[in-house]
Amino acid sequence: MLILSRRVGESITIGNDVVVKVVALSGNQIRLGITAPREVRVLREEIFNAMREENRTAAAPDSNRKLEDVGKRLRSKTPERSDDE
Amino acid sequence: MTNSDQRSVAIAAESELIGLLGKEIFFPTGLLGFPSCQRFNFSRFNPGDGSPSPFFILESADQEVSFPLIHPDFVAQDYPLQISAEVTSSLEAQSTADLVALLIVTVRDRVEDTTVNLQGPLIVNTVSLIGMQLVVEEYPLRHSLLVPAAQ
Repeated sequence: MLILSRRVGESITIGNDVVVKVVALSGNQIRLGITAPREVRVLREEIFNAMREENRTAAAPDSNRKLEDVGKRLRSKTPERSDDE
Repeated sequence: MTNSDQRSVAIAAESELIGLLGKEIFFPTGLLGFPSCQRFNFSRFNPGDGSPSPFFILESADQEVSFPLIHPDFVAQDYPLQISAEVTSSLEAQSTADLVALLIVTVRDRVEDTTVNLQGPLIVNTVSLIGMQLVVEEYPLRHSLLVPAAQ
């Protein structure tokens, strides 16, 4: 891992078009400003990892077999849906 | 840094999905965790007994991977989505009226544990057939499909 020291207000560049700037520092929290092309998705790592894991679980090959049972259960439940929320 | 040009999508009704059936949808950046899955075929899930089903299948044309999907109307009474101008432009949408939202269903060992991913909706342009997975942090990753939330 490359480790760099930066002061508040300073930045690093990644590739040709990603800039990460240290915006503020308070206690053990750092605020970062990220400039990146719109096709580059910027996420907190834990959000990315959880979403990736969820997608992988959803893609499990035996999902489709069980989907039929889920559909039956959903149908039997649907009439109970109420709009009073 | 935050772009305030956000528009709420009138999520097209489930009936709008008919136009997508049998079509190939292109996800330029893949799905999270599946960056190389870009081309997907969209079809209705047909149960063996011929009964109607609310599910659809998004099947990768690049790998042996498929995702069960459901329209948000079957899941949440109130599920507003904000779509930024960047997203609209990435999907080459002339209008947000062309966009539909679909939710990935996670089927687990026990049927009653089935959840729907409200945090990672798929947004598809029904005209350009381009799609992407959004990340909407304020919605849960696992919303129970069958058991009402205790709230």
